[in-house]
Amino acid sequence: MIELNNISKWYAVGGNKNYVLRDVKLSVKEGEFVSIMGPSGSGKSTLLHILGMIDEPSEGYHYFLGEAVHLMKEKQRSNLAKENIGFVFQAYHLIDELNVYENIETPLIYHNVKSSERKAMVADMLDRFQIVGKKDLFPSQLSGGQQQLVGIARALIASPRLLLADEPTGNLNSRQGEEIMELFRKLNGQDGVTIIQVTHSEKNATYGKRVIHLLDGKIEKETQG
Amino acid sequence: MIKNYFKVAVRNLWKNKGYSLLNILGLAIGLATCMLILIYVRNDLSFDRYNKNFGRIYRVDSDINFGGTHMVLAVAPDPLGPTLKRDYPEVEQYVRFHDLGGIMVKRGDENISETKVIYVDSTLFDVFSLPMVEGNPSTALVSPHTVVITESIALKYFNTVHALGKTMIFNGSEPYRVTGVIRDIPDQSHFHFDFFLPMSQDNQSRGNIWLSNNFNTYILLRTGTDPASLASHFNEMINRYVGPQVQQAIHTSLADLKTKGNYIRYSLMPLGRIHLYSNKVGEFEPNGSIEFVYIFSVIALFILLIACVNFMNLSTARSSLRAREVGIRKVLGSMRKALIIQFLTESILVTAASLVLAIGLAFLLMPYFNQLSQRHLRLGLFTDPWVIPGLILLMVLVGGVAGSYPAFYLSGFRPIQVLKGKLAAGFRRSNLRNTLVVFQFFISIVLIIGTIVIDSQMNFIRHKKLGFDRDHVLIINNCYPLNDNARVFKTEVLHMSGVKDATMTGYLPTSGNRNDNSFFKSPSLEQTGAIQMQTWSIDEDYIPTLGMGIDAGRNFSRQFPSDSTGVILNQAAVKLLGWTDPVNKRLYTLKEMGSQDQIVYHVVGVVRDFNFNSLRQEITPMGLFLGKDNGSLAIRINTDDISGLIGRVEQKWKELAPSQPFSYEFMDDDFNKIYQADERTGKIFISFAIFAILIACLGLFGLTVYAGQLRIKEISIRKTLGASILSILSLLSLDFLKLILIAFLVASPVAWWAMNKWLQGFAYHIGLSWGIFLSAGILAVLIALLTVSVQVIRVAGSNPVNALRSE
Repeated sequence: MIELNNISKWYAVGGNKNYVLRDVKLSVKEGEFVSIMGPSGSGKSTLLHILGMIDEPSEGYHYFLGEAVHLMKEKQRSNLAKENIGFVFQAYHLIDELNVYENIETPLIYHNVKSSERKAMVADMLDRFQIVGKKDLFPSQLSGGQQQLVGIARALIASPRLLLADEPTGNLNSRQGEEIMELFRKLNGQDGVTIIQVTHSEKNATYGKRVIHLLDGKIEKETQG
Repeated sequence: MIKNYFKVAVRNLWKNKGYSLLNILGLAIGLATCMLILIYVRNDLSFDRYNKNFGRIYRVDSDINFGGTHMVLAVAPDPLGPTLKRDYPEVEQYVRFHDLGGIMVKRGDENISETKVIYVDSTLFDVFSLPMVEGNPSTALVSPHTVVITESIALKYFNTVHALGKTMIFNGSEPYRVTGVIRDIPDQSHFHFDFFLPMSQDNQSRGNIWLSNNFNTYILLRTGTDPASLASHFNEMINRYVGPQVQQAIHTSLADLKTKGNYIRYSLMPLGRIHLYSNKVGEFEPNGSIEFVYIFSVIALFILLIACVNFMNLSTARSSLRAREVGIRKVLGSMRKALIIQFLTESILVTAASLVLAIGLAFLLMPYFNQLSQRHLRLGLFTDPWVIPGLILLMVLVGGVAGSYPAFYLSGFRPIQVLKGKLAAGFRRSNLRNTLVVFQFFISIVLIIGTIVIDSQMNFIRHKKLGFDRDHVLIINNCYPLNDNARVFKTEVLHMSGVKDATMTGYLPTSGNRNDNSFFKSPSLEQTGAIQMQTWSIDEDYIPTLGMGIDAGRNFSRQFPSDSTGVILNQAAVKLLGWTDPVNKRLYTLKEMGSQDQIVYHVVGVVRDFNFNSLRQEITPMGLFLGKDNGSLAIRINTDDISGLIGRVEQKWKELAPSQPFSYEFMDDDFNKIYQADERTGKIFISFAIFAILIACLGLFGLTVYAGQLRIKEISIRKTLGASILSILSLLSLDFLKLILIAFLVASPVAWWAMNKWLQGFAYHIGLSWGIFLSAGILAVLIALLTVSVQVIRVAGSNPVNALRSE
């Protein structure tokens, strides 16, 4: 599904290249659950952003579903991401001015889904996550765990084949975190969604079937979850 | 999708009430003032357009240079109109107006003074579109002793508009039959007469005198006629008709006159240009001026721009708060275009809210504005088909312009950067925002300078020494009905206590009669020694009563019977005549136009120059002659019991002229009337300038709020390191002060140029001193500092822990 070859990312600082990622080679098959671990500054988030196509590598080859992402124009790339990738953030990043229902609905609007279909799909999703009673609340009225649930529901509403999560439990207490990780395991196991998550926690990393360890922009080792 | 944007926009506005209020209010004030100005300007531009033949009507104006005097007149000789129609087939019709001053109209037992009275040719209705309610337009003004009146006058005298065939009594005894009632003349007309009397009654209209200009002459050209081609024939017309009369009057040929720089020219003034471009001698009413249309349009545009700039600045300043949303939406799959549309929708929504508020504001302000501008303007929201589409266009335009920058700016954010929160640094370094702030201050400073200059000039006019003393002078108007009792009246008034002096004449420096005539230095009436000057008829008490000064010689005196052929010149006349010792010199003139008889005057004295026109014009040559003109009685008073004195004067009046209206005014009021138009436009300018500055302040305030918010961390760190409030104030103000300085440097020359041009319109005006510019600059700095410090003190005074903890 994903093929990264010799991906590097650097920033020019005073004439020197400051590498964030160096020669990363990674391949992920459909249906996998991959955790990326590493200390702060090891390039985990950058790698995830490149995978999610909201950041570009400085060099290297990037194939997604057999298409050469590194050759695409921005608009094409955005479209490809829009169709296939869902994002979950550590800080949830819900739109404060929209309520739960509307937050979940937003990606469908950008997918030009008809209003009646949107209604059915959002209702389904609310049901599945058991947050029907909260649909009219605004993000500020929810707990962190509930916000993250909405964030995941929103990421899944357009049925992406790949779910990217950037420290999804980072702002949650351990019980909420566990619930989210259980949800991920279920999504991967029962619904076959490919998941790549970045995490700090050894424990959460074990939910993935593969664990990629990053250090100073390079893949240090890979272990089985 | 729009529904989603709409929801977000409304909730966003609601969530940030303070910001929204600032934004909507600023824009609303801007739009409201802009609407008022546009209505005013549109009103000014639509003068005389009620005429169906608007584009084909021209007034024939005269431009005469004779004996060193240059006259630009809105009037022409009596034979000109008929001659044009007779000799040139392209002239379809003509109509002449001749002022006849005022009349007394009888209503019951009283006589009412009416001044909007005019002699007019029976062809009036062929040229101007004045709809007749009753009567036959083609015959109404043919026979003598008939009159056409307006509906208001019919109502005033007959309590009904159906006045056709009724009789009115003018000047006590003359019966006139009403042969037509017309609709009241629209506000937007360059004349407003109530009584139209037939020209057939005016003997002067048949005088066939080409050398006297007293008739406002309008012609209607045939469709498709080029006015320039008609005007090209004017020279041959002058040679044919004016030449022989000049030869007869002063024994000189037209060609000879021309070689000495004299000329007579006629020109065509299109009807559409009269109200805004014509300010000649002999206009019916003081006209508007195109300068002010330009000035006001520019102010309207400025105000709108300032309001838009506010909007843009506030939106982009707030961008850090919206940036996260942009980032999320982009990650969720939004294209840039969708985001641009979203932000434009938002800004048009804000504009729509502002527009609704602005319409309300304009409604509230309209009565004050009408009072200020002396107009009867209406918003005309539903009556004028132009207004609603215009407003919608304005809304889309303003919303689009104001929203475009934030829209493109915000939608251009890269999602990972904004989601990581790396945006705040952008605020201080935005060149565009700085440019916009400079632009705003540039406009504000120009307007402040304009306000100071206009105000000082108005003040200068009010206090200018005019060469006569206009305070404590009571004028009894229109003393003609006193006839032979006029002298008695004057003597009786002089004996009253509280009266210091009195003079009887229709020629007063502030208003009243004006008359000019040609004089010559030698009995051979040679052109080289000719002078055209004001010829005023006064009495011996004139100069002392009005407090004028004698420069040489003496005042008229009853002890010198020969003073009946004496003249007192003003300094301007002496200068033009080139005399160093004018007393006892002689001046020659013709007894009347066309005759051979001469009158010889000797100079008895020179009066110091005094202003008798508006200060827009230089003092022109003048001669004062002894005469018996009963125009009005000017009384110098030295009592505090003014109303008691007026009562006694009125009592005396009623004894001497029973059933004649008594009216009075004070000379300083009369003087102020000359400047009413200037003063009014000045006040309008100042009001709008203040609005503009206010809006700019609102914007600046909003900007500091966000500058403070974005730098709150920096401020907090500085505070924990021990910075005082004052040092923080200077830190934040310095940014703005730099911008103001740049704005000041750009604004000063622009304002200097514009105000200098405006002042050139006054023959007597103040100078543009550095003080004016300096005080404008200081004022701008003060306004800015005040606005900034309100906010800065709040930010600087807050507890730094709160700000630092949020990280």
